[in-house]
Amino acid sequence: MTASPPSPPSGFPVLCATKVTREYGPLVAVDGIDLSLHAGEFLTIFGPNGAGKTSLLRILGGGMRPTSGEVRVGGEVMDFGETEWRRRIGVLSHKGLLYGHLTLEENLRFFGDLFGIPDLDRRIPARLEEVGLADRARFQARQLSHGMKQRLALARALLHDPDLVLLDEPYTGLDPHAASVLRRVLSSLKDGERTVVMVTHNLSEGLALATRLAIQVRGRFAWEGQRGDMAGDEFERFYHGVVEGVS
Amino acid sequence: MSVYVRQVIAILTKDLRLELRTRERLAAMGAFAILAGVLFNFSIDTTVVRPQDVAAGLVWMTIVFGGLLGVGRTFALEAQDGAIQGILMSPAPKDAVFLGKMLANFVLLYAISLLVLGVFALFFSVDLGANLGALLFTLGLGSLGFVALATLFSAVTEGTHMGDTLLPILVFPLLVPMVIFGAGATGRLLAGRPVVEVAGNLRMLGAFALMAVAAGAGLFRYVVEE
Repeated sequence: MTASPPSPPSGFPVLCATKVTREYGPLVAVDGIDLSLHAGEFLTIFGPNGAGKTSLLRILGGGMRPTSGEVRVGGEVMDFGETEWRRRIGVLSHKGLLYGHLTLEENLRFFGDLFGIPDLDRRIPARLEEVGLADRARFQARQLSHGMKQRLALARALLHDPDLVLLDEPYTGLDPHAASVLRRVLSSLKDGERTVVMVTHNLSEGLALATRLAIQVRGRFAWEGQRGDMAGDEFERFYHGVVEGVS
Repeated sequence: MSVYVRQVIAILTKDLRLELRTRERLAAMGAFAILAGVLFNFSIDTTVVRPQDVAAGLVWMTIVFGGLLGVGRTFALEAQDGAIQGILMSPAPKDAVFLGKMLANFVLLYAISLLVLGVFALFFSVDLGANLGALLFTLGLGSLGFVALATLFSAVTEGTHMGDTLLPILVFPLLVPMVIFGAGATGRLLAGRPVVEVAGNLRMLGAFALMAVAAGAGLFRYVVEE
């Protein structure tokens, strides 16, 4: 087993989803979505509650099998029997996926060991420094505020240097200062090499970093396009028009 | 060290570290073991039965009931903050996750088994000295088989509404061979009989433990993957 992710064959999109569908009994949460993202793209997916955004993100992150359809990461089909492709993906959920009784350093070391990262002694302090938590490395995670936990969760998601980053409502419950710190770290992801998919209700935060936008309603992309130079209030009117048009 | 071994050790040490900090499961299992020993002590009329004759069965029953209190909560640790999703979305193979969690449970249950043995030695006046090594080995084999099944089934029941009720119903029937061979070996060893007399029981306990570990490692992925 190798610790570093293999490079995708040139020309392949970093992420390619084909006719991805997810059903929960009679409910179709994700309905035949096609998506292709190349290196450097930042896609923000908006949508009302129950639109299937989180289900789609979980499928793209390998946290859930689609009922039908296929997802490729770096040209490789997500095969749940193999796990190497997971090294390419970093996930930040609205839940921190952290252990409250472990210190920040222990949390990162644990996930670093699971990813087989070789240079954790160097990488952990660097990641904590990036998210502004270096001085709290020996605090237990339960002692942190919600905003700090979210920053720690971001450090965890980026620890293995993924080339595909999935963000599920990262701004939920953050105060303005915590949100600005998170925005600064997320904007550093726009380095032209990483691909980011963010799901959010927050129109202004979602627009701020995106290069591509999608509006998901009732499991489908009701609209998808380039970010362009659409202003916030203009997009808000457009968003409501799309959602009401489908609903 | 291979990445696989590193992943198993990471989960093992994380679970033990969390337990040492919270002591949730150790406290519950330890308190149960001591209280069961005290109650059994008062419930047996020593003028009718010799305590040594019933000690082996009671030791194993206490380990099984007390163990399930703690091992059954294996995945409750992970439920907070969705941490299990973080593990499942990592490249760690599911059997490595299972082995790490099972070994952590084994360490906890074996510690409780030693406590149970000590409590019953105290209250039931059984002599551990003659066959102590063989007794510890017997408890180790039995504990290994038990935690393998209980870890697997605690993952099965964690997502259900009746988890705590369902777990013993699923696990107890599967533990019958372990209790038969474990209690049989323990009874003879406590009575001071030679170890060679329980070799067959120990082989059966070992085979049970091996099968339980193999089944758990093989089936775990089907339990945790959607």
